[in-house]
Amino acid sequence: MPRGKAPNVADELEAPRSGAGKEAANRRGLAGQLNPVHLNIERWAYTFQRITGLAVLAYVVAHIGDTSFFVGGPFGEGPNSASWASDLSVTENFLGHAVLVMVVLVVVYHGINGARLILSEYGVILPKPSRPEYPYAAKSLKTIQRHLIWVAIVGAVLAALYSGGILFG
Amino acid sequence: MKESSLMQLQYGTGMLALVLVTLHLLMQGVLVPYGEAVSFQHVLSLYRNAIDGTLLELLLVVVLAHGFNGLRVILLEWRQGAAWEKGVDWSVLVVALATIAYGTRTVILAATGAQS
Repeated sequence: MPRGKAPNVADELEAPRSGAGKEAANRRGLAGQLNPVHLNIERWAYTFQRITGLAVLAYVVAHIGDTSFFVGGPFGEGPNSASWASDLSVTENFLGHAVLVMVVLVVVYHGINGARLILSEYGVILPKPSRPEYPYAAKSLKTIQRHLIWVAIVGAVLAALYSGGILFG
Repeated sequence: MKESSLMQLQYGTGMLALVLVTLHLLMQGVLVPYGEAVSFQHVLSLYRNAIDGTLLELLLVVVLAHGFNGLRVILLEWRQGAAWEKGVDWSVLVVALATIAYGTRTVILAATGAQS
């Protein structure tokens, strides 16, 4: 075995990046982060978990405002059928139902993908740790994780189609 | 609270939300026909039933705790610094508590308020 420079551990542990030399590492900033080419599906799943999370939070806050008109809005004092009817006249139309279908899409994805993240957090669906080896394909994706991401995507689309059938059918 | 405890809270509320939101969505069009689900009388009967009312309040608290803590995590990952962290922690807490209070007011008034 030739004696020479010891292998640099940091080099081996560096995340795989496509087509960039070492000198380019950490120099691409935000544009590099937003470049989708080098992302694998797990990274996409993470990005969408964040986006859908913010979308669901925005909807939930709006939904709490909207449902408060059941009791007459911010200044109401109890169940008020006239106030509820006027609230429904704002939300029960094509646009309102289209928003609900989008909410179902986003909520179901966030829920199924979130269940996957909890399982992986506790190590249930992760492979045993091992040495990174060329070409550094993500080993976390060699387990059921890869399929669960697709379950989240397909499940969300099917649920959205089903809710569309209910709301527009 | 330690960040690690807050993450456990995030997973716990996430699992609870999974159950409660699934039930909530099924109540809107699958177990109960959609038109009936949004009708005044049906919504009123939910709020005036002890179990359904409690589940709605639980849904409110669990989802908002999970959502606002998630927002906090995103904001802290976006930018770092002691002042930023403190500001984010407190503002998110205040907005979350205010939203929970407003939603809880709806639940209480719907359950006990005089009908008009």
